[in-house]
Amino acid sequence: MWQRRAFLKAAGAGFAASLLPQQVLALERNELVFASSVRTAGGGYGAVLLGERGDLIASIALPDRGHDITISREAGRGVVFARQPGTFALVFDPAGREAPVTLTSVEGRHFYGHGVFSPDGRLLYATESDFEAAQGVVGIYDATDGYRRIGEFPTYGTGPHEMLLMPDGVTFVVANGGIETHPDFGRTELNIDTMDPSVVFIDRRDGRLVGQLRLEAGLHQLSIRHMAIDGRGRVWFGCQYKGAPGESPQLVGYATMDGAIELVELPPGTLADLRNYVGSVAASADGGMVAVSSPQGDLLVAIDTEGKRPVLVETLRNGCGLAADGAGFVATSGDGAMIGIAGAERERQSFGFLFDNHVLRVG
Amino acid sequence: MRLVLIVLMLLAIAPAAAQTTTVSQVLQTAVTQVIRPGMLEFKARASGLRIAMNALCSVPSEGTLVIAKGQFRQAALAYGRIEFLRIGPLMEDNRVDRLLFWPDRKGIGLKQVQAILATEDATATSLATLRGKSVAAQGFGALEFVLYGTGAEALLQPEGAFRCAYGRAVAANIAQIAGELAAGWFAPEGIAGHLTAPQADFADYRSENEALEELVGLLSHGIEATRDTRINPFLATAERAARPKEALFWRAGLSMAMIRANVDGMRRLLEQSGIARAVAQKDAGLDNSIDFEFGNAVRALDLVTLPVEQAVADDKQVAALNYLVIVTGSLQALIGEQLSAALGLSVGFSSLDGD
Repeated sequence: MWQRRAFLKAAGAGFAASLLPQQVLALERNELVFASSVRTAGGGYGAVLLGERGDLIASIALPDRGHDITISREAGRGVVFARQPGTFALVFDPAGREAPVTLTSVEGRHFYGHGVFSPDGRLLYATESDFEAAQGVVGIYDATDGYRRIGEFPTYGTGPHEMLLMPDGVTFVVANGGIETHPDFGRTELNIDTMDPSVVFIDRRDGRLVGQLRLEAGLHQLSIRHMAIDGRGRVWFGCQYKGAPGESPQLVGYATMDGAIELVELPPGTLADLRNYVGSVAASADGGMVAVSSPQGDLLVAIDTEGKRPVLVETLRNGCGLAADGAGFVATSGDGAMIGIAGAERERQSFGFLFDNHVLRVG
Repeated sequence: MRLVLIVLMLLAIAPAAAQTTTVSQVLQTAVTQVIRPGMLEFKARASGLRIAMNALCSVPSEGTLVIAKGQFRQAALAYGRIEFLRIGPLMEDNRVDRLLFWPDRKGIGLKQVQAILATEDATATSLATLRGKSVAAQGFGALEFVLYGTGAEALLQPEGAFRCAYGRAVAANIAQIAGELAAGWFAPEGIAGHLTAPQADFADYRSENEALEELVGLLSHGIEATRDTRINPFLATAERAARPKEALFWRAGLSMAMIRANVDGMRRLLEQSGIARAVAQKDAGLDNSIDFEFGNAVRALDLVTLPVEQAVADDKQVAALNYLVIVTGSLQALIGEQLSAALGLSVGFSSLDGD
């Protein structure tokens, strides 16, 4: 467990620099459980580490907007990735012993906001864009050598977004959202008419393509963005539709390493309320449920992975972040709220900062 | 005495009266006074362009060429004033890309247009078959090259007949799409009705708040897009020199006029709809602040009098362009954050621009 004690010794820019008495109390009774990028009340950006009860344990200042966070016990480090097309990733010590270190993307690459550690914590992998070639790559960083970038391999698609490590410990699954952007044009989407999203499985030992799955041709404007792995090792994904606004394709599906990919049928009303946009996907602790969120539609949907149908639909204004919590999920919002759904025993809480799109469960 | 009382009463209610623009009025005015007229204007200008290209191809002459170029300018600028309205009909059928494939980082459109001209691909000269071609070869970018690009002088010669016929088909395509846009905004049971009178069971706009959020988002994203795709790409940065040929319509000399059209279109929606006046008393100054910043943008644009290629080599005009970048950032914050918050919209940044 990440112990709070070390935070009291924290040094470094913006890292729990000054704790109020209440926060010290929070540290006394908490262990780090949740982490999320946030926007602060003053309009700045940071990341927060929260305890089981939602107590703020520590905050980290970021130079710009962050996105997802990954943490490795083995490495003893967490990493906040800049939101795409960001150029930094901040490596921090969740135990607060050492000051954070900022990584800068190498020339010709930017981060896409997601990444993972190897199971032994020795390597860090990040989804990145080779923007001149409009190709996604996975950047590889040596955690034992100051996070030096030691190589990369392709994601076999454009606009990679979330990447996860499969339970076998050697296969990555990467969602290639299919959308081309280039720093010369900000966040402008450059290839909506010719998008080619896919889910790819990649062997992390050599970057070899194990398998690439695409939805049927008529759905090439359905950008596959976020994923979670259920109890049977199926990769559930959520999509954002970039085609005509009057159309409402299904947005949630799953892919398997056996080569199956399919969308599940959500009821028309639920689908309409997702507003063609899924912002994050999480699996429950037992892997029997996945939850998807739509901050555009203020909607959270928990789906039974066996029955492949919704078991709970709940509204949360600007709700996006999801993580396993108890039997269900914790959800966070861009309005600064945190709630429990689908079996999570949790009172609604409000914070003085706004949660970004993802919340990570650490413990 | 009675008169004094009335005057006093009027004075007392005057400040409050300034804030009585309702959300419903904003939505109605936006559609009836800004969006629909903008679509009709584009339709009329695009129709003029189609006719002018017909005339040029039928009777090639200096006179018909001047008219065709003038109509190109009129139609392009009319589109520039509405292109930020990326909802409803404009987002269907790939119309945004078919009208103007931009930015075109790899020069796909140019290569395709050059290939069509080099091979005299007859399928590019009829509307029906042109529409089946790449989106990058059937809109304003293609027509600009036909009228202003390398070899355009042939338009007045017999060997330019194919080039003209291709341009005529592109103009017909632009006119057809413009007609579809206008029809979409006037369709019964269409987006106009949904946007002005949202209902819980509509798929697109379930509440007035959602409709209002859409308008604010269009303005905020529109300003961002103008900066990121029309200004920044050609300006010098710390890492590279200016790239004037990355400016939209540099061949036609319309780069700055298009930016101005973008700004004018967005300012018009903001001012006429009264969206920044549908706020509480404490935010009453926001309307003026936004208008002031739009004014700054226009003043900066007015300072850029040279063609882009020369402007980027002129210190004063570069300063004005750099200032324009700052102003667009300020406008984006004023509208996307402050106005959004003042209107009580979900300013939570998760939904403002997703990821």
